[in-house]
Amino acid sequence: MCLFKPTGVQGKVEVGQQSVICTGCGCLCDDLDVAMAGGQLLEVSNVCLWGLSRFFPYKRFHPKKERRRILEPLGRLNGRLQGISYGAALEHAAEILGKARRPLIYGLTNTGSWAQEAALQLARNLKARLEPADLAFKAPYYHSVRKHGLYWAPLEVIRDEADTVLFWGANPLHSCPRHLVRYSVFARGRFTERGVEDRQVAAVDLYRTEVAKFCHLFVQVDPGQELHLLKGIREHLQGSPGPGPAVKGTRRLAGFLSKAEFGVIFFGRGAVYNQGLAVLDELGSLAAHLGEKQPFVLFPLASDFNSGGLYHLLFNELGVPEAPDFGHEGGLLTSAAPGDFDEVDAILVVGADLFWFLPEDQGRALQDRQVPVVSLSPFANRTTSCSQVVFPVALVGLEAAEVAYRMDGLPMVLKKLLPTAWPSDREILLDLMKAV
Amino acid sequence: MASVEELREFLPRTDCRRCGLTCTEFAASLGRGELTPEDCPVLHEPDFAGYIEALHELLGPAPAAAPAMHIEVEKCNGCGICVTMCEYHLGNCDEARLGRGPRPADKVVFKVVNGAVVVLHQELCTRLVQAAEKCNKCADHCPTGAITLT
Ligand code: SF4
Ligand code: SF4
Ligand code: SF4
Ligand code: SF4
Repeated sequence: MCLFKPTGVQGKVEVGQQSVICTGCGCLCDDLDVAMAGGQLLEVSNVCLWGLSRFFPYKRFHPKKERRRILEPLGRLNGRLQGISYGAALEHAAEILGKARRPLIYGLTNTGSWAQEAALQLARNLKARLEPADLAFKAPYYHSVRKHGLYWAPLEVIRDEADTVLFWGANPLHSCPRHLVRYSVFARGRFTERGVEDRQVAAVDLYRTEVAKFCHLFVQVDPGQELHLLKGIREHLQGSPGPGPAVKGTRRLAGFLSKAEFGVIFFGRGAVYNQGLAVLDELGSLAAHLGEKQPFVLFPLASDFNSGGLYHLLFNELGVPEAPDFGHEGGLLTSAAPGDFDEVDAILVVGADLFWFLPEDQGRALQDRQVPVVSLSPFANRTTSCSQVVFPVALVGLEAAEVAYRMDGLPMVLKKLLPTAWPSDREILLDLMKAV
Repeated sequence: MASVEELREFLPRTDCRRCGLTCTEFAASLGRGELTPEDCPVLHEPDFAGYIEALHELLGPAPAAAPAMHIEVEKCNGCGICVTMCEYHLGNCDEARLGRGPRPADKVVFKVVNGAVVVLHQELCTRLVQAAEKCNKCADHCPTGAITLT
C-alpha cells in the first residue's frame, strides 16, 4: 500500500486543513494549507520545495528518484533485508541493543520531543551514549553562549526590529528557504515596515552563493581565514587594528556591523566546518562586544526541525546541552564533541540519516566491523540500507501528533492529519524499552 | 479569460501526475495555452463527461494571450520571496506583504503550491495596467532567476 500516490481518488476535494506546520526545517512554518481527499494528500500551499519532501515521497529536485516509503518492518536475513513482523523486529532489535557493551543512540534532531524523551530514557536504561546528529554544529555555539553570555531574541522580534543581518557560513536558501521571507530579510515587520529596504544584509562564505543576490556586502573568504577575519573585525571595532595585512573585507564588515541598531548574526554549518569551537568563540565574543551598546544576537540556523527540542531536553534533564554517555564508568559523562565510533558496538538511529552524514571511511569502518544498526525511518535511505533491523515510522506532524521546538526555542504542537498504519518513533522506542 | 482557479474547478484535482504535473500546474498551463484540456488523460474517463467541453468554453475561442509571466518550475525552490515582494500583494494581501503565505481565500497574482510558484490571477499583475515604468519586482528579487516577464 502506498499512501502518497493517489490513483483512483475522484471527485471533489473533501477536506482542507489550514495553518498546518511544516517539519522541513527549524523554521516550522505554520502557514501551510493542505488539501486532502479520501485520506490522501493532494496539495500543500505555501510550502517550499525543501519542506515538500516531508509531505510527499517525491522530490522535484530529482523527479525520477522517488524516495521510497518503507512499507513494513525489515530484518536482515542471509545478508538481505526482508519483511518481518513488528514483533520479530522488536525482538531482534532488543537483542542487538541489549547485548551491546557500548551502544549508541544517534540522531533525534528530526523527530518530535516526545520521541526524544523516550530515546533519552532508553539511553539511560541501556547505559548508552546519546549523540545529537548536529552536535558538531550546536555544541560550540552553546559553549560560546555560556562563555560570553549572549543576547537572545525570538524570530518575531528579529523580524520586527533587526536592521542589520549577517549570514556567516549559511545559505538559508538551501537549509531553510523561507527564513528569508518570513523573518530575516524580506519580511515586513513592526519597525521594519519597508522590509528588505529597512535592513542591511551581508554574508561571509567560502563560495559565492545565491544569497549574494540580495546582500549589500558579500565577503568571500578562503578556507582557514575565518578566525583571522573575525579577530580583525573586532580589533577594528575596538579602534586598534593589529599589524600585518587584514583579510579582504575586514574593514567593510566592521563598518557594516558598527552601524547596527539591532543586529543578528545567523551562522550555518559552514561556520563549524573548520575550527568550529574557535570560530564560534570569536563570533560570540564579537556579538558580546557589539551587544554592549545595542541588542546583538548570535543565532544558529538549524536545518533539522527539532534540534531545539533535543538540546532543551538535554539541558533540562542533565544540566548541559551536550551528548550524554550513560555507560561511562564512574558516572555520567557529557561531551561537546562528536565521539569516535571505534568503541561503539551497536547503533540505534532515529530521526537522522547517519550513513549519509558520516565520512565515507568511518561508515566503511563501521560496516567492516559489522556493527549492527537498528534504524527508525519513514523513507528508505543510506542508513536503512546498512541496517540489521528497520522500523517504518509515521511522518511526524502529518501522520503522528508531536511537539517540536522552533529554531528560536518556541514549542509548537504538531497535529496528526492523516490516518496511518505505521507507529510513531515514540511508540517504537517505548516498545523497545519494554523489550530490552 | 478564465483564472487558473476557475479552470482548476473543472479538472479532476487528484494530482495523479499522469500529465506530468499537478492539477494546479496543469490549469496554469491551460491558461497559458501550452496544453489543451485533452492533454489530461483522466478527463477522458466517463466520470468526467462534459468537463473537456466546459474547459474549452472557459478558455474561449481565441488563442491564449502571449504569456506575460513565465515561471521555470525547475529553478523555483518555493522560497516565496516573489510572493512577498509583489507590488500587487503589497497593497492587497496583508499576509503576503508581511512574509507569510496568502490564505486560501486571498485573491493573489501567484502563490507557492507544492514547492513552486503557480500563477493564479495574472490579470491582477500591475504590469497590465501600468503604461510606463513597468513593475519588475518579482523577477528582480527571485534569487534563482526563475521568473521571466515579457
Ligand atoms: S522554510 Fe522550512 S519549515 Fe518553512 S516550509 Fe520550508 S522547509 Fe518547511
Ligand atoms: S492528469 Fe489530469 S487529473 Fe492527473 S494531475 Fe494531470 S490534470 Fe490532474
Ligand atoms: S510584475 Fe506583477 S506579479 Fe511581478 S511583482 Fe509586479 S505586480 Fe507582482
Ligand atoms: S519564483 Fe523565485 S522567488 Fe518565487 S518562490 Fe520561486 S525561487 Fe522563490
